[in-house]
This record gives sequence, C-alpha cells and structure tokens, in this order.
Amino acid sequence: MNAEPCERSRHRKTESGPNDLAAFLHRLRAEMVPAERGTALPEVSNAALREVTWEEGLVDRFVTSARAAGAQVRCLAANDWLSAVQEVLRGHGARLVVAAGQAGTALDDDRAAALGNALRATGLSVSTAPNDDVLFACDAAVTGVAAAIAETGTLVCTSGPRSPRGVSLIPPVHIALVDARQIVGDLFDYFARLDPTTLPANINLITGPSKTADIEGILVTGVHGPGIVHALVLHSG
Amino acid sequence: MSRRADLRQRVAEATRNERVLQAVHQATWRKADAREQSFAALRHADALREKAAQIRRHTLENLPEYLEQFVEKATALGAKVHFAPDGPAACRIITQLAADRGLRLAVKGKSMTSEEIGLNAALEAIGVRVVETDLGEFIVQIDRDRPSHIITPIIHKDRREVADAMARELGCPRTEDPAELTRIARGYLRDIFRRCDLGITGVNFAVAETGTLCLCTNEGNGRMTITRPRVHVALLGIEKIIPRLANLPVFLKLLARSSTGQPMGVYTTLINGPRRPDDPDGPQELHIVLLDNGRSAILKGPLREVLTCVRCGACLNACPAYRNVGGHAYGSVYPGPIGSVVTPLLYGPACDDLARLSSLCGACRVACPVQIDIPALLVALRARAADRQPVGKRLLLSVWRRVMEHPWLYRLGQAVLRHALRDADGGWVRTGRGPLRNWTLVRDLPRPARESFRQLWEARLRDER
Repeated sequence: MNAEPCERSRHRKTESGPNDLAAFLHRLRAEMVPAERGTALPEVSNAALREVTWEEGLVDRFVTSARAAGAQVRCLAANDWLSAVQEVLRGHGARLVVAAGQAGTALDDDRAAALGNALRATGLSVSTAPNDDVLFACDAAVTGVAAAIAETGTLVCTSGPRSPRGVSLIPPVHIALVDARQIVGDLFDYFARLDPTTLPANINLITGPSKTADIEGILVTGVHGPGIVHALVLHSG
Repeated sequence: MSRRADLRQRVAEATRNERVLQAVHQATWRKADAREQSFAALRHADALREKAAQIRRHTLENLPEYLEQFVEKATALGAKVHFAPDGPAACRIITQLAADRGLRLAVKGKSMTSEEIGLNAALEAIGVRVVETDLGEFIVQIDRDRPSHIITPIIHKDRREVADAMARELGCPRTEDPAELTRIARGYLRDIFRRCDLGITGVNFAVAETGTLCLCTNEGNGRMTITRPRVHVALLGIEKIIPRLANLPVFLKLLARSSTGQPMGVYTTLINGPRRPDDPDGPQELHIVLLDNGRSAILKGPLREVLTCVRCGACLNACPAYRNVGGHAYGSVYPGPIGSVVTPLLYGPACDDLARLSSLCGACRVACPVQIDIPALLVALRARAADRQPVGKRLLLSVWRRVMEHPWLYRLGQAVLRHALRDADGGWVRTGRGPLRNWTLVRDLPRPARESFRQLWEARLRDER
C-alpha cells in the first residue's frame, strides 16, 4: 500500500500452515509450553476496586459525571417529565421529533404515544417508528435508557424491536429520560447486572455528546453522533 | 545495513519540519498530562492495572481455549467467523465477501489492524470504494498521507494543512476553524453513511464467555459503521480476547484514561451478533475475521507480553523519542515504544533497528495500563539484533564485553582514555577522533576527571584507615 521499508522487507510466509481455524487452534495448543500457562484468571468480582463506594448520592454523582462529560442534566419530579421534554425541544426549536418507546424504561410505549400526542397538539411532527429519512432529517430524539451509571455519567441504550440503534446516534439532539432508580453506582455494577445469556444485539454505553479533538487537540462536539445530549432524571414520589 | 540507513534517513526527514515537531510535541505533552491527571483521580489505579495485566496474561496463556469458546458463542449469536492466517488471506476473505454480495461502498471505523494488512488497497483493487470515517483518518485519506499516531492519526498536521486538504479535495470553502472543518466532514460523511453497504471496523475487546465484540469510539463513527451498512465485517486480532464480560469494565476504566484522559470514552458499544429478526436497524450479516498474521508466533516466543497491549497510545505520548521525531520516523503502522516492539515481531528482523529508537528511560512502562515492560522487550530485541551487526561493530562489542568483565582491563581502558583525552579544549572534547567522531558531531564530551572514582574511593578508604 505504502512504500514503507518494513512493508518491503516483510518476509512472506509460505502458505504451508492450515487455513482452517480448528487446525490452527489444535496446532497452537500443541505448541504452547504448558509450564508457561500458570497465570490464574483474577477473581471476577471487582468489589475491591470500585470507584463509587457509597450507595447514597448516586444521583448527585451521576449528575456531576454526566455534566463533566458534556451532557446537560436536569433532575425533576417524574410527573413533570412531559413538560420538561417539551421545554427542551422548544429550546432547540425542534420541528420533527422521534420518540422511541421501550418497555421497562422511563419512556415506554404508552408514554411515547402520550408524548407524540402532546407534541402534535403543539404543531410538531412526531415519529414513534422512524424510517431512515426521518432519522436523518429529525431535529431531536427522545428515548428511555436501560440503565445509567453514576461513576461515569453514562447512559445505556440497548437495541430492541421498538428502539432502533440509530435513534440515540443519528439525530443532532438526544434527550434521555432516566428513572432515578435506574442509576447504578459503578461501571462494575452495571456489568455485574448483565445477564450473559440474554444480551440484546447492541448495547451502547453513551457518555456525553459525540466528540473529537483530532484537529490540533481542540474539542469539537457533534462529529457523527448527537452534539447535544440531555439527561432528564426523574424522581418518583 | 540499508535498514539502518533507512531509519536514520527517516528520523532526519522527520526532524526537518519544525512545525510538525512543534505540533507533535505539544499534543503529546497535553495528552500525557491529561492521562496523569485522570489516573491521579482514580482510586485503585495500580490495582486495576495489575488486574488488567493479569487478565491479559492469563488469556494469552490459555488463548486456544478462549478462542474456541469465543468462536462458539459468536457463531451461536449469528455471526460468521472466518480465520485468516495472514494479512493477504484476510484481504482475500473480505474482498470475496464484498464481491459475492455486490457491495460497492465501504465505510470504515478506525482500525490499526486493517492498516497492518493493507485492506483499503485490496478492496479498492476490486472496485469497492473505501471511506475512512474517523475524522483524523478521513483527513489522512483525502490528503493521501499516513497516520502518525495510533489514536490521533493527524497529530502531525495543523489546522492549515487540514483546511488546505479539505478545500482541495471536497471543494468546500476554505476555513481553518476546527468546528467548521468538523461540520463539513460530518455533512460529507453523512451522505456516505446513508448510501454505504459495507462497514468495516476493528475490535477493542472480544469476550469469550458471550461472543461479544466491544468497540470504543469518541466520535460515533464506529457506531455509524456498525449500524448503517447491511454487512459488518469486524477484523479481530487473535490477541484481543478477554475471558468474561465482567472483565470488560476493568479495561474500560483504563482505556480512555490512558488514551485521552477521559474517565470513559463517549461510545462503548457491545455487539452481540447481527441484528435480530425484529430489530428495526443494524447489519443483516456480521462477519468476524480472526487474524493471526504472526501473532501466534509471538505468542510462542519470549516476547509474548507485547500481545497484552490494548493499543491505547499512552506510551507514544509519554516517549521522549516519539515526542521529538513523531510517528512517521518509525516507518510502521505501529509507531512509538510499543510499535518498536510490535513492528520487528510482525515484520521480521529487518525492522529490529527500531528497538534503538529509544533511550530506555522507562516512561512507557510507567504509562502502560497493562504494565508491559516495554524497555525490557526493547533490550531483548536489541540483543536479538546484535548477532546481525556489521563485523566491525560486533568486534567492538565483544571487546567491550571483555573489558566490562575484567576489572584490570577496565582500569587499563580508563587510563588509556584519560591519556588520549588529556588535552581537551577548555574541559570539553568538541571533536573526537576515530570512533568518537560521529558521537561528537552533535555533542561535546566532558574531559575525564584527573582521578577516577575508583582511585578517589580507594584513597578515601586508605585515609580512613
């Protein structure tokens, strides 16, 4: 590809080795020295290495971390979620909005439908099952989250029948509804809760808006993913 | 022989451009500082690094078993796993996939492994257009340049060069504003993302227990690449396996901190097979190309520790040599301290000279999140290269060794040197003779003290008695 010295001097392997994975693994196993295979896998529990150790103040920690990562965070009473979403959308002058409901999140299908109706009543266009054209043209997307992580201010969005992966990725503004009870303390806690046998096809840990510092180390947001991320943390009762 | 000249020449070329050096110097310092600060704020930094290193070592020692498990689980999730013994085989597999399906427009997430095997050229040779989507790699591609850093590909470019390249190649109005340049690239690549049919990425970690691929990006281009096209090909070096899903956060806590100083990268994506039947988007096919390309040979050798590398780039930013010559001087896809170990191991002894592009100061070892003893590996490579030195140098080294092994010879040598350098000008030897000539071209040698340390020490012992 490029005329690098290392590329030129590279010695071609004569293709005597088996092209096949099983044979490769068999050979590798035979050739590795058993005596050099003594390192034990450290215990799976990471309890001693937790960054977030207190159980109280998870919300505070989440707010601090998410803001540090560049997200805009507001805490509010669960009942006020609709007006809060509307306010944020107004702030961005949104006209075309995607609302992707997902069971078990703070934006389930019922709430997505309610949001759709409320927004349509104020003259906005809303899609709850967006196609490509809508995803690329819309001004904002509203979603729930599968979990949130206090340590890093991370929102977790998973793929599913009603929650396309593109929803938290393609629109310029992402508004995530977080039930305060969904916040776990440490990154370790989130992974400890995952059931390895029932993983969705796509799990996205989202920490702040899309970023780059490729040009002279200057931070620019909104390269490919949303440049603006809102987390609305809902307290019930 | 010619290799040596190549390395010298590349370093000379690299150090000629003052502006580039300035850019690299500033960027590496900034990133090294950011790394240090973020680690200072981490409670159990050393214990985490120890655990990460141990997990990686354990995995490598049991790699055949974990690979087998990974393949089984990934296949059960609906992925198709291919095995490529070397780079050309991997390129063949991927070009064949593209040709069979009539795929014409490929988008790529940043992948050092794909650059290692020259995948872009192979795809373009069969008429597939390949578009790099990481902003830095995109600029490298349109400017027909080469990346010079494994995390920050255009660390050697300033905004003027980026502005020139984008105005020239995209026909956009010229601007030097990084935010505006980024916006233009976004718009251009969005159009590509709407039309592409093949997505190619590397993999940061692959989990044996679940068949999960983990991909870490900041821009979101990686997510776009695995969401938009109907076929996703993940190129996976066999060393990237970790045993359990619960091991993953140990690495996630270290990776972004080491790369950029962020506590966590913006997007960490866990991929469990292609899209499910009722998923509204995502690739219909997921192909995982397991790449050996010399890795199993490294695994069986004494320098296998290098395979625990997570490609964070921290050692590049920490290295005084890298800071002062930049990435292109290394002449390899993998520059910096870790590159000086990886490159000779992957590409053969002709690249052993890279091991000399280091002062062995140890900054890389301190920065490494998985505690790779890079200086020790560099020394081992230097020893390997010693046998192939020119006769004159081998002779010199064997004399040196003899001298260091025999105190009386050492003393004699000291006396001879002291005598030879006795009339140094003003206490400094400015132009040496014979073998010293090259050395003194860029440095002065202090004149030896009239009495050696040994003599002073012995005199002092006598006085005390």
